[in-house]
Amino acid sequence: MLKDFFNTLVKVIHLRSIIGYNGLVFALRKTPVIGKLIPDRLYSTAFLKIIYWVIHVVAEVCKLFAGKIFGLGMIYLISFFLKTEYLEYNMASGVSGSALYAGFALSLFVVYALYGILLNIPVFRCTPEKEYLVFMIRMNPRKLNNTLFIYDLAKLVIGYQIAGIVAVVTGCPFWVWLGIPVLAVFIKLFGTGVLAFSYRIKNDHHKPLKSSALGMVFKIVTVILSAPVVLMFIANGHYVPLHIALIVCAVHILLGIRGLSVLMKFDAGLHRRALRDNIVKYEELIHKEPDKTKSFKRLKAKGSVKGNKKGFEYLNALFVKRHSGMLMVKPIAFAVFVLVLLGLLIAEFIYGYYHQFGGDNCIRMVMNNLLNIILFKCYDDPLLPFEMTSVASFFRWLVQYHLLGLVVLISGTDNSGKSTQAMYINCDNSLMTFSFFKQRDKIIKLFDIRLKQLIKINIIPALAFALAANLILFYTGGQDYPFQYLATFVVASSLSIIYSTIWLSLYYLFQPYTTSVNVKGGMYKVVSVITAIVFMILFFIPCNSLILAGILAVFTVFFVLLMRKAVYKHAPETWKLKV
Amino acid sequence: MEFVINHLVKNYGSKKVLKDVDFVFGEGKIYGLLGRNGSGKTTFFNCINGDIDTTSGSFYLRENSDSKEIIPLLPEDIGYLVSTPTVPEFMTGREFLKFFIEVHEEVTPDRTIDEYFDYMMIPEDDRDRLLKDYSHGTKNKMQMLLNIIASPRLVLLDEPLTSLDVVIAEEMKKVIRSQKQGRITIFSTHLLDVAVDLCDEIVLLHNGRLEPIDKNELNDNDFKIKIIEALKDQDDA
Repeated sequence: MLKDFFNTLVKVIHLRSIIGYNGLVFALRKTPVIGKLIPDRLYSTAFLKIIYWVIHVVAEVCKLFAGKIFGLGMIYLISFFLKTEYLEYNMASGVSGSALYAGFALSLFVVYALYGILLNIPVFRCTPEKEYLVFMIRMNPRKLNNTLFIYDLAKLVIGYQIAGIVAVVTGCPFWVWLGIPVLAVFIKLFGTGVLAFSYRIKNDHHKPLKSSALGMVFKIVTVILSAPVVLMFIANGHYVPLHIALIVCAVHILLGIRGLSVLMKFDAGLHRRALRDNIVKYEELIHKEPDKTKSFKRLKAKGSVKGNKKGFEYLNALFVKRHSGMLMVKPIAFAVFVLVLLGLLIAEFIYGYYHQFGGDNCIRMVMNNLLNIILFKCYDDPLLPFEMTSVASFFRWLVQYHLLGLVVLISGTDNSGKSTQAMYINCDNSLMTFSFFKQRDKIIKLFDIRLKQLIKINIIPALAFALAANLILFYTGGQDYPFQYLATFVVASSLSIIYSTIWLSLYYLFQPYTTSVNVKGGMYKVVSVITAIVFMILFFIPCNSLILAGILAVFTVFFVLLMRKAVYKHAPETWKLKV
Repeated sequence: MEFVINHLVKNYGSKKVLKDVDFVFGEGKIYGLLGRNGSGKTTFFNCINGDIDTTSGSFYLRENSDSKEIIPLLPEDIGYLVSTPTVPEFMTGREFLKFFIEVHEEVTPDRTIDEYFDYMMIPEDDRDRLLKDYSHGTKNKMQMLLNIIASPRLVLLDEPLTSLDVVIAEEMKKVIRSQKQGRITIFSTHLLDVAVDLCDEIVLLHNGRLEPIDKNELNDNDFKIKIIEALKDQDDA
């Protein structure tokens, strides 16, 4: 039986190390630049496998001790500290130091162990090596789970015994040091037994053998709410007398025995079902490209295109209609958020005037300044001279000289990246197999339509930011020169147009996406990083808004035409499936 | 009309997938491109369709074998039916067909949209459903229908019958046969019987080269065995 146990264990650990090694090589091969230098034969290099095996064993040993020594070591240290404090301040009269230490150590450990079993019971979690062994090699799942469970319990006992060094050093009674690892085993048996029992009931009711999301929330809330209670209990000078702690431990030992009997009756079929329902999607995360297309597939055949749209106009209108949530929610949510914030600030400002000067003066002031805005005049407030605070002057300085910094906000709200992904995964990915889609004139036709659409979507939050910038200007003394308000809108719009153009052009010129919407193109990544760096540098360039608006307006037209020309020239060769 | 391939080579790093493809395909025939899994059939089609770059070699159209004038193969000359059909998932079948006809201004449709659906035996209740909800077979039929409407000179069919049920496979075969006149059809498959049943000519893609086979000899069981033995030799692409 012992031989059987070791054979199974060796198989699991060996498989775990193979999966880990292959996962590491795969991840390295996927790394840009380095990946191309790593050959396929690395998967079969025996020498490196041995090195990885050694690292794996060391890591296993570290995992074995690190957490346990830290957790239990901390409990011993806290117990020692509390014992010292309670004795010094005479908070537990008539109780010996060792009894106090033991009471604290046992009661804290029970709470700690119960939290552990509430949040983490890995017995039925189906890791990749379990999946291969049970579902492909058809190993007996009960034997596998029990072997790993016993291995875990053994690790628990050894780890906790080693953590006992802290107990010995801090003067913990000997029997506590020896007893806590045994108690840990029984509490783990109890927790696992409860889980097995609940799975058996779920199985009887034909429900999946896994924890529900609601159950998990309940457990987390229990932990979060009970932790302060425990802390308050101790902070108020209370303690659990040793005999009560011992009774609690005895109850847990009995519950552990009961848990063991439940586990003994948990047959192979139930183990198999539990594993099947708790498969960890490690394979997809490590060995394969994660499929990011799920969020793009929530489509419904609702609505149709109104008007007389045809061809690519029709395609685009339908695309926007069916992806409206994906494309519009983010920019509109940001715009609404900014506008609501501004509305509240304005309301607060007006209320301040109203409160101080009454309705007539307030209305006069608001109307007067509204007229000023429309006529691009300066801020005029005869009622109350503006008092410039340091914060207000900082924001004014930003709006006066660093409007280019709006690009940071615009890049945060821009939805072009997600839009091009949606275009690729739900539309272009399939249409690229058709020859008409690769014809130069058709490519540019669709590019123009899409660019207009992206600009329309992304300019909404950009204009909201421009409005916010103008209000900062307005409330901190008004514009410095005529048309400064207008310049702010021009700058924000231009930056947004440039941003949308860049992302759509990059998509057409580098087409970086795979069928799982992962970015594969190295050049695309490089250009994206350079673009981000350039935009960050822009933030620090001081510039007069009016001059900036003039330059940007011309540059935007020039830039859009240039990118359009580049797409027209190169996209028939570059805008294609990543085969 | 002929489709000429001149010493086409495609390497992936040190791996030589297409070593020297040199062949002439004629109009009005269905060519069965027969090869083992991984022999490079899809790579060959992807090269012709311009989805991947070739390492060397060229391909073009010409009027006939005497003609010296080279007619470049343009994207609009190619119809490509991929083995795993992909369709724009956000559209219904009807919407997609409407769009497809509108963008092909040069083609005058000879049927209404519903008549096209009827021709391809696409059920009525599927026509206004999103394409993402179509079965594999119906997606395949949609792709075939679009190729019929676009009427390309060269049709590449990459294992179109794989994983279709027997009824849809027969319907597809019927459509493919009915569409062969006036164009060059290359049909890839790894199934010898399908190639024999459907195709006028059989071409073996073997060790990165194309080799014609006399279809009549395929009735001889020994010859079949010889082909299978030959295919066993291949270095996997």
